[in-house]
Amino acid sequence: MYKLLLSWRYLKTRFIALASIVSVTLGVATLIVVNSVMAGFVEQMQSRIHGILSDVEISVPLLTDIENPDRFTQEVRQIVGDDLEELTCVVRSNALISFQFRDRQWTQHVMLLGIDDETFGKVTDFEPYLTNEIKKERFSFQLESEGYTKFLGAGWPYRREKFWHQQELERLQREYQQLYDRDAQQAMKNEPFTSGYDSQGRLITHNESQDISEQSPPASQQSLPKFAALPKQLPNLDELYPADDGAEDSDSAEKSAGLAKQGIVQLKPFDPHVDRREKLSSDQMFNPARDQYTGIILGLGISARKSRKLDGSLEDIYMVKPGDDVQMTFLATGGDARPVIENFTIADFYASNMHEYDSSFAFVPLSELQKLRGMIDPVTGEGSVSAIQMKLKPGADLDAVRDRLIAKFPPTQFPFNIQTWQDSQRPLLSAIQMELTILNILLFLIIAVAGFGILATFFMIVVEKTRDIGILKALGAPSHGVMSIFLGYGVSLGAVGTGVGIVLGLIFVAYINEVADLVGWLTGQKVFDPSIYYFSEIPTIISPFMVVMVAFGAILIAVLASVLPALRAARLHPVEALRYE
Amino acid sequence: MSEAARPMSSIESMPQFNSPQAELRIANPPVMTVAGLRKSYRKGKLEVPVLKGVDLEIPTGDFTTIIGQSGSGKSTLLHLLGTLDAPDEGQILYNDCRIDNLPSREKERLRNAEFGMIFQFYHLLPELTTLENVLVPKMVQDGFWQYLRNKRAYKKRATELLEMVGLSHRLRHKPSELSGGEMQRTAIARSLISDPTVLLADEPTGNLDAENGREVLDCLAALRKNENLTVVMVTHDESLADKSDHTIRLVNGVVA
Repeated sequence: MYKLLLSWRYLKTRFIALASIVSVTLGVATLIVVNSVMAGFVEQMQSRIHGILSDVEISVPLLTDIENPDRFTQEVRQIVGDDLEELTCVVRSNALISFQFRDRQWTQHVMLLGIDDETFGKVTDFEPYLTNEIKKERFSFQLESEGYTKFLGAGWPYRREKFWHQQELERLQREYQQLYDRDAQQAMKNEPFTSGYDSQGRLITHNESQDISEQSPPASQQSLPKFAALPKQLPNLDELYPADDGAEDSDSAEKSAGLAKQGIVQLKPFDPHVDRREKLSSDQMFNPARDQYTGIILGLGISARKSRKLDGSLEDIYMVKPGDDVQMTFLATGGDARPVIENFTIADFYASNMHEYDSSFAFVPLSELQKLRGMIDPVTGEGSVSAIQMKLKPGADLDAVRDRLIAKFPPTQFPFNIQTWQDSQRPLLSAIQMELTILNILLFLIIAVAGFGILATFFMIVVEKTRDIGILKALGAPSHGVMSIFLGYGVSLGAVGTGVGIVLGLIFVAYINEVADLVGWLTGQKVFDPSIYYFSEIPTIISPFMVVMVAFGAILIAVLASVLPALRAARLHPVEALRYE
Repeated sequence: MSEAARPMSSIESMPQFNSPQAELRIANPPVMTVAGLRKSYRKGKLEVPVLKGVDLEIPTGDFTTIIGQSGSGKSTLLHLLGTLDAPDEGQILYNDCRIDNLPSREKERLRNAEFGMIFQFYHLLPELTTLENVLVPKMVQDGFWQYLRNKRAYKKRATELLEMVGLSHRLRHKPSELSGGEMQRTAIARSLISDPTVLLADEPTGNLDAENGREVLDCLAALRKNENLTVVMVTHDESLADKSDHTIRLVNGVVA
């Protein structure tokens, strides 16, 4: 009884001891916050990764193929059995993407994925991460006219406008070139040693230029408005570039031939798709205002560059938009690693907010990629693939399915790499786990440091209470009784500190986004920048087990710290203790 | 207050305190016997002998004073009697049983239930009220639940004792709010709560002025009478020895 009473009285009268427990409180609160936030991050990231990756994947090394996948998938379906929900084939290839941005050719490496547009979206979370609203509902590789909420005007309107401007630019360039050449010729005739400039050094242009346009107006250019008189509204491009423009083209070819006869050097207009044009010339001309190449879904990170604005905030600069064309270079399969260069039209962006994927993935239709890479078996007409991805029914044991597949296709005989999504993310997940472990150890060290604070404080209290200890012993209190006073004192202090710490930690976790905003507002620096992280707000998960373990650990440290002083108290000789002043 | 003070004031006029004939009386059978007691304190290699073979008897129910100069070893002797310390040599018998070599559990029981102790500096627990201080030996004696069961009876007894020493109005005060005399009377009440057989007092008046000292002393004398206690008091004050039944003089660690 006296133990409890005295522990309680010491607790009530010695607030300095509570100060020593503040570090325990802070340590506990920090541990809870850190663990909750880390758990939240891990959970969010795992669900993202899991969404992007399929449950189980059978893949072969790059530039190797799974031939005749139909029979193989039949076999896989049989092995996986009822657990299988959906299965899709994927072709994977390293590729170079190259596009024009601000008069510069940008080339970078991407992971090109040929996907089956029907089944791929069922195996992984693909469609929710697209930026186009229409594609989210109904996926296709076709460029849309609307729905690009993030890129206003992108899609067909943008493509037409861009093409129109390009044409206009070319026309003006041609026009200028003609003028220049004409002037040069005239000057050669009249004054052989002066070029297109007069004696004052001024360029001789506008009078003559009118003459030229009167003399030989090119039919296609005449219908176009002058640059200065550009209409606010764009002309209907479908009318301007009617579907059958082959005649017009041959017309202009005649024109340039005529011009050449006249001695005017006709510059060949810049045409990025000249190769393609040649290919298509047999049946129909490719018209970028009306036609698109095969659609490609680009990871958002491929097209965007982060740039810091003057006020310090980050801004995305998009180098290409849906509607732009990009050139992909990749290797065809087979013995000769022949490069294939092909144009694609960006149909949409893919924004999973996982930087690793957004900055490297590009999706194209499976059949198209198989064709381009020469993966179609000439006999069966069946295209080979580089991976088979599976989604299993909810609750299915991924590892068991993986093991069944490995048992059937042992790695000693087959080139297959069979793994679950967790296997493929093991390095990342285990890195996070290790980070968490180390953080926990470090924070527990903080509490351990707090333990030494308690130790020192308790020693002081024991010294201060030496006479009381002597009195108690003189009154017949046993040593272990005296010890338990101080142990009880330590336990109650630890419990108080831990309890307050838990409450503080939980409150902090509950209002973590508000706290982050407040700190951001106070310091003027955003604590949690959603543009850097994967999430719009700080995710947290409070695990009761973690809270209990933290509480247990903290109280244990408080108890351990009070054992030594308590032992000292117990060992005090009563006579010496009584004599102590 | 007046009610509580009455027993003391009636004791004041009792004759036996100023009786030099006390030594002439036939001594009662001893409750404690000390034989060949030696005790020395070591400080490094230096050994300071304090008690150099003490033999004495404490008669049952008497007021015995052990008197001696500072450093004569009288306090050490009292600590040895109260089993707070162990002698180097010799024996201490209590009711014909050797107590100096008992296991610590037994010694604790003796200190708690058989001996009451009073100290020069009162030695009250500063965090506890007067009443709680008096109750401490009972708390030590009983387990948690046992104490809670008997709490009412103990409180009643403690209140009685505090009334007896004239402190019924100070039950809820902390020691820091009491005067020296009051503190010492609280300590007396505490020493009596477990109904001890022997009361060991170490200079109980040493820190009090004459008035308060006399009050405390009278209190002790009255208790001896009323509670049938054996009182052993250690003091350096020759004048106090007059009031006791026996006086044992300690000089340089031996009984003179």
